[in-house]
Amino acid sequence: MYLFSQNRYYIHHMSEENWIEVGSTNSIEEEDLIRFDHQDKTFCVYRLTDGFYATDGICTHEAVHLEDGLVMDDEIECPMHQGIFNIKSGEALSPPACEDLKTYPVKVDNDKIFIKID
Amino acid sequence: MKNNIIILGGGQAGIYAAREIRQNDTESNIKILGEENLLPYERPPLSKDFLLNKKNEDDLYFHSSDVLKNENIDFENISISKVDFENKKLFSKNEDIYTYDSLLISTGSDNKRLSLDNNLNDDVYYLRNLEEAKTIKEKVSDKNKITIIGGGFIGLEIASSLSQLEKKVTVIEIGNQLMGRIIPKQIADLVQKTHLENGNKIILNKQIDKITKKNGIYEILLSDNSLIQTDFIIAGIGSAPSVKLFENTNLKLDNGIITNQFCETSIKDVYAAGDVCNFYHPFYERNMRLESYQHAQNHGICAGKNIAGVKTEYNSIPWMWSDQFNLNLQLTGICDDYDEIIERGNDINNGVIYFFLKNKKIRGACGVGIMGKVGRDIRITSKLTEKNTIVDKQILSDQNQKLNKLIQK
Repeated sequence: MYLFSQNRYYIHHMSEENWIEVGSTNSIEEEDLIRFDHQDKTFCVYRLTDGFYATDGICTHEAVHLEDGLVMDDEIECPMHQGIFNIKSGEALSPPACEDLKTYPVKVDNDKIFIKID
Repeated sequence: MKNNIIILGGGQAGIYAAREIRQNDTESNIKILGEENLLPYERPPLSKDFLLNKKNEDDLYFHSSDVLKNENIDFENISISKVDFENKKLFSKNEDIYTYDSLLISTGSDNKRLSLDNNLNDDVYYLRNLEEAKTIKEKVSDKNKITIIGGGFIGLEIASSLSQLEKKVTVIEIGNQLMGRIIPKQIADLVQKTHLENGNKIILNKQIDKITKKNGIYEILLSDNSLIQTDFIIAGIGSAPSVKLFENTNLKLDNGIITNQFCETSIKDVYAAGDVCNFYHPFYERNMRLESYQHAQNHGICAGKNIAGVKTEYNSIPWMWSDQFNLNLQLTGICDDYDEIIERGNDINNGVIYFFLKNKKIRGACGVGIMGKVGRDIRITSKLTEKNTIVDKQILSDQNQKLNKLIQK
């Protein structure tokens, strides 16, 4: 996968407190996102102007991947029906989405992005 | 000032207008009069997830009754039979009188119906509201061969759902392509291919000459003398604005209620929003009537602002979608006024989009792809259209180049 150019066979590793390594910081362009699959779940990890953020990867309205959605400022817009969520809070901002999107803590360590999954 | 504001029509435009009025005006009385005894609900799932049992009735409501109560918005299930614009009164069938200071008409549209010259009119089913969706769901459960008359959005969405329920589906379309009213042929042909691959039969360029019923089976005679036998018939042959109530009044009508860019009708203090309007669009400099989720919502919000005294122009770039099988089709802007067409992509798995340009600026675009694959580009296209951006055609046509490069910040 393009995220892990240094070692293509390395998927992720578990460190203390369920921090999961997603990839290197330069794997995401600014105002963009990548999809990250872990076990049977899908997440989206975003690079905004002020840092990295993570949410669930599937829209709360219908089962479609948000990885194909548009990131504008602090918002992700679902590519199927234009439901809009705030990336930082997960709040559903525009119908047809009405249920908030779950968010996850993100940290950067040595140019690597980690998300904390419960 | 405390006003009586009445919203005639309890659909999407009506509820969004009501809530927008309340945001800007905490004093006035707001009352929605709805013909269905249901709070405003979402219609898009009726032909898809509701038929497929993936969503039930409770999933469809925009808001609970608590939300309306908290915002002090009344909802009344009543059918209005007469309007007196001069004295600002509405009359119900039981002669109940509703007096308004401002009126919003959001009565939506009605299905056009086939006119059959025998007594089979009640044997043809239509889908616009929840009740009709429930009826179709129940009636098709023990049927096998289903025929759908009309190859527009609604007919094809039902065809997709019923195919997924293992029905043998035939779609009959009078035109020479599917969704011919607004969708470019290139995209319609890709959608048709998916229907065929999933076992649906599509018949184009044929009219219905006659429908007869024998031993519970229908026979549909087509204009080329071919005969189709079927267990159940659904028609989706377009809609017309719900304006019957206003036909003998001073309200200016022409393919719907004529409104300006502020949702104002020809009568003072009477506004209109949603499907029922033939509204002036300042960006495209012409009148248009739209039937879509995004339009009903945004036009309702715009009307709400104007009713509450916040003068707001409606300049939203049209956008609509249709989901059929695993495809998501999207349309933005207007695709019938162009001097150049640019194609982006050629594989439905990655999405295919056709852009319609005039004077090097995008006027509209239509795309289709596996769910989610065209949404981002279509959304960016709406922004490029809105901003009148002169676009680099090379970037537009190259799927490896991101369209957000074209957005001027």
